[in-house]
Amino acid sequence: MELSVQDREYMCSGHVGCPGCGAAIAMRFVLKALGEKTMMIVPACCWSIIAGPYPQSTLKVPVLHTAFETGGAVASGVRAALDIKGDRETTVVTWAGDGGTFDIGFQALSGAVERNEDFIYVCYDNEAYMNTGVQRSSSTPYGAWTTTTPGQEWKKLRKKNIVEALVAHRIPYAATASIAFPEDLVRKVKKAKAVKGSRFLHIYASCPTGWRMPSELAVKIARMAVQTNIFPLYEVENGVRYTINYMPKGYLVREYFKLQGRFKHLSEADLEQIQQMVNEDWELLLRKAGVSPGAAGPVTKID
Amino acid sequence: MTHAFVSQVSTPFIPRSTTTTESNKTGSWRFLQPRYDEKTAPCSAACPAGEDIARVEMLVAQGLFKEAWETILQENPFPGVCGRVCFHPCESVCNRGAFDEPIAIHTLERFVADTAMRYGLQPQRMALPPKSERCAVVGAGPSGLAAAYFLARLGYGCDVFEARSEPGGLLRWGIPPYRLPVPVLQWELEHLQALGVNIRCNHKITGGFLHGLKDRYAAVFLGCGHYKSPALGIAGEDLSGVEEGLPFLERVRSGDLPSLSGTVAVIGGGNTAVDVSRCALRLGAKVLMVYRRRRQDMPAFGHEIQMAVDEGVELMELWAPLSIEAHPDGFRLSLQKMEVVSEEGGRARVKPVPGETTAIVVQKIFKALGNTAEEPWLEPPGEIAPHILHLADTVVSRREDGLVVVYGGDLAARSKSVAHAIGSGKEAAMALDLYFRRGWDAIVEETARCRVGPGPSLSMEIYTGGDRCRRNPHVVAFEEINTDYFLYGPRIIQPRLLVEERLQGFSEIDLKVSAALAIREAERCFNCGVCNQCDNCRLYCPDVAVCRDTSPQGRHINLDYCKGCGVCVVECPRNAMSLVENETGGRP
Amino acid sequence: MKKVVEGSHAVSEAVRLCRVQVISAYPITPQTHIVELLSEFCSDGSLNAKFLRVESEHSAMAALIGAASAGVRTFTATSSQGLALMHELLHWASGARLPIVMAEVNRALAPGWNIWTDQTDSLAQRDTGWIQLYCEDAQEALDTTIQAFRLAETVFLPVMVVLDAFFLSHTYEPVDIPDQADVDRFLPPFKPAFSLDTAHPAAFNQLSPPNVYMEMRRDLQDAMEAAPEVLEHIEGQFQSLFGRRYGALEAVQCDDAEIILVTSGTITSTCRLLVEKLRAQGEKVGLLKMRLFRPFPYEMLKRRVLRARKLAVVDRNFSFGACGIFAQEIRAALCNEPKRPLVFGYVAGLGGRDVTTDILEEIYWTTKTTAHPESESVWVGLQQPAPAA
Repeated sequence: MELSVQDREYMCSGHVGCPGCGAAIAMRFVLKALGEKTMMIVPACCWSIIAGPYPQSTLKVPVLHTAFETGGAVASGVRAALDIKGDRETTVVTWAGDGGTFDIGFQALSGAVERNEDFIYVCYDNEAYMNTGVQRSSSTPYGAWTTTTPGQEWKKLRKKNIVEALVAHRIPYAATASIAFPEDLVRKVKKAKAVKGSRFLHIYASCPTGWRMPSELAVKIARMAVQTNIFPLYEVENGVRYTINYMPKGYLVREYFKLQGRFKHLSEADLEQIQQMVNEDWELLLRKAGVSPGAAGPVTKID
Repeated sequence: MTHAFVSQVSTPFIPRSTTTTESNKTGSWRFLQPRYDEKTAPCSAACPAGEDIARVEMLVAQGLFKEAWETILQENPFPGVCGRVCFHPCESVCNRGAFDEPIAIHTLERFVADTAMRYGLQPQRMALPPKSERCAVVGAGPSGLAAAYFLARLGYGCDVFEARSEPGGLLRWGIPPYRLPVPVLQWELEHLQALGVNIRCNHKITGGFLHGLKDRYAAVFLGCGHYKSPALGIAGEDLSGVEEGLPFLERVRSGDLPSLSGTVAVIGGGNTAVDVSRCALRLGAKVLMVYRRRRQDMPAFGHEIQMAVDEGVELMELWAPLSIEAHPDGFRLSLQKMEVVSEEGGRARVKPVPGETTAIVVQKIFKALGNTAEEPWLEPPGEIAPHILHLADTVVSRREDGLVVVYGGDLAARSKSVAHAIGSGKEAAMALDLYFRRGWDAIVEETARCRVGPGPSLSMEIYTGGDRCRRNPHVVAFEEINTDYFLYGPRIIQPRLLVEERLQGFSEIDLKVSAALAIREAERCFNCGVCNQCDNCRLYCPDVAVCRDTSPQGRHINLDYCKGCGVCVVECPRNAMSLVENETGGRP
Repeated sequence: MKKVVEGSHAVSEAVRLCRVQVISAYPITPQTHIVELLSEFCSDGSLNAKFLRVESEHSAMAALIGAASAGVRTFTATSSQGLALMHELLHWASGARLPIVMAEVNRALAPGWNIWTDQTDSLAQRDTGWIQLYCEDAQEALDTTIQAFRLAETVFLPVMVVLDAFFLSHTYEPVDIPDQADVDRFLPPFKPAFSLDTAHPAAFNQLSPPNVYMEMRRDLQDAMEAAPEVLEHIEGQFQSLFGRRYGALEAVQCDDAEIILVTSGTITSTCRLLVEKLRAQGEKVGLLKMRLFRPFPYEMLKRRVLRARKLAVVDRNFSFGACGIFAQEIRAALCNEPKRPLVFGYVAGLGGRDVTTDILEEIYWTTKTTAHPESESVWVGLQQPAPAA
């Protein structure tokens, strides 16, 4: 089946993302959906580098690189300037990594969303501080190795549920998306573009370098994250209306974990525990979406 | 008021881009390289005629029925026939079978041919320049006709000599109309004749024929088939009323429909036995099929046996005929109970169970055992010699006078099937062309180059330098398919006449399918190893290094930028790409 | 039009007159009155600006960086902790060459909590690439704010207009509020050098490797070095329209002075009284008011003070482990002059403690009677023993 995604390209070759960079794929899709009337605010993240050094830019839309924690605020300012200039057409987008979203930039994001600033905030999530060399963030999942959670100190805390945090703001539109589901992703970006007020997109963007896996699996692993319920695809309107976009086939999380070096230390017991956590989160999501677990297809069971 | 000092303070020098990243040739990072690398689908490797099935299904899915038909015609002049009578070994190796159910390749082949027939399509053929050598073909059965077809396409003039009144051989005289209606065969024969193949019917060839051929022909293809039935070797088999199976089928095919009554015994377990049984059933008899081994050991196609059973044929397994005697009600057929001693390659070896015999009284007996060549000189030479080549489905012999004799079809093929006969004819045409153009020594090596996957099936498209040349012979395994791109979907159900309807006459049992259903079925196809332009490689490339172009591939990898991540290769749903060692640029 | 307004509101009035387009602010005493009034202006329509009520000073500056990058005139105000929180983005604003204007009300840094005036907060930001102008009274605050936009948008550097807490921010004074038409003549609409533009897409502030970073910094310094002269020119135009000018420095009776008191902010007004009194007594005393601190007006300073024997620099700020910051900078400015005055440093009025004429007079007599400075800074008015000791 051919995927119907806009042909127009807003990203150039020659950017300096790692081979198989999920964040680069995410950017391509998002810009295809948004088109040229877009301004990108990029706080510190891998994309600060990927986008190219002076005097280059890999994107064919304006880009404003900003400080790490400022994604929500700088976008607010750009939006305000465009508003006062009477430009209602241009979409202002903050393009931040998980560190700049979940951690250091959370305050500015929360502030902007509380003010219902008219912009799209995209978090491309690669689950750690990758640009600085794989340090744990509050987005790093339970079980993961990072350079700051080495050896037996692997992260034993859950990943922050950022979408639910945004939903608690009653944000007009929040959605998860994955580079492995381009049509869903593009549809959500287009939908977000049409909504007024704050919009949040949480895009799962694999990182072969930081996840210690072969680069060719970048998309496959992102797909598996969805198939295993580790990263469900759903959207929430006005903080209350949940829609689950993908009912998984009930793959075991183990399949996802065993492909990545960052999880290689985990025992069967650990994996079982993680499976329970994933099941629990999924059932919680189903309840919020008002779907009875039976109707939603298989919830993964451990044999 | 003017800004007097604006001119004194220059435009600020800030980090602001003025160019793109395209001057960074990130291709230098690469140590592996993706490549468009179309591979071989297991179905096409299993097809004795070497059809490019993965591509055919792709074209059907796109609604390009004419192109699909022409693609089949590259390898097989008889899609309408094969879409009906082929035993479709392709389906049993279909990778989709490991996912849900195999693609209904057989049904789709017939659909494509029927569509072409319905609209009276004329195939677009590449015209190779005419050659001076002329060839004779003996026997207008599937192998002879295929040989003539491929020779004609390669530019050779052909005369086909057929003993019977109409061409087709077994297709015309051996296969009952409920499996293969005559108009289908006739339509495909018209195309063959349109290519310039000259078929001379009622022209029986004798042993002396080969002498003196040298003056008129450079080569002769012998594809006379096996029409002679061996003896049962039991008492009473020559009694009047004990008939051979094939002549009976020929009578039915020529429109002579004798009325049968009572019980008919058919001795044998091959396709002829099954066809005889089912014809007898339609002519009013109760039919017993007597076979010395088990049902699963029968050489007949399983689905044919099943249909025979559905229609009411009764199987008597593990009974061997002992003798036939005249009986007031017909014949008394004595039978010996057999038992399985051992299995060899899944086929039982049997021996009599001492003392256990029985006898049945029947009104008629048909003998339908294996057949042999009608004349000994039609059999290919068995010896190994420098002037004799034993190819997969043919034997090529170079006589001292320079005439080349090719033995094909049932006389030489691995297996007796229409598809093998077609493959045999193709192999013969290829061998002769090679002999004429490149010499005797080129035949073995060059035919091997034209194998579909590991062979032995051959591709005329590869031989003539078509796009299929680019295919990697690697046969795509199920594990190499990215099944994430496919949804489970039920296989099309071949619509058929009800059993009661079938028994009313000789109408074709398998019914037509609609274009909508055919497209849906073809969409299920993984198109193993064949690019269907899904564009995933371009879509997912993190480096925007896959570019569309006007080449047959439709796109190329821009090696200036490709970092060799391999995402395109993994996300190719059908394994039409490979990640290989760097060919150009990048680190060694 | 003369109006009695508090210092904060004088700034607000100036911002309105400058037709600022985006304001972003976060509350902090004693700056709040500035943005409260601006909120009202936006609300009543007398100022057509977007007012972003952000969740921190950090975001206030970040939002302005965004807005200014998109090519509009921007303003914020802050104080003390808020300014300290902004620190990172002060560098960002100047490095991106964005002409943001910020009112900074000097307030002491915690702990302990102290809301009263102290210049350490703004002087601690001296290396951030912002122009800093220190104001003496409400009229100057208003005028400086208007000039700040013109200056910022000429040299493409952000400008900090600095006011003392309470002594200036909350003190009502008669202020001449200029006509809008005159301000419009003085300050044309903002024409950015570059801005975010979908028709001409470019990336701003991206990775700048060693081969270009240094040149970019030098370009910023060139703009800084041009600023004093640009300011002088701007003030000339300002004066012709409004009849007032302040200069980068103001020298009062310095030409024949043997001792020059050096002050900034509201202490200057107190010092003016003292100089009058001492001159009446026959003392050869002068007053130098430092208005422009960044860029530091080296040459102007030298022209004013090289003839004096002694400088008494009053610092309402302190650089721990060193000395008062004005004194430090002035010493550095003079150190290569063969004939130069002795620089006496005094620290007074930290955390909002009143600097009275008595304190300034003590500083004067100490300077006059001491042959040579005994330390880098003399802390004036310390209680002995300390209150809690």
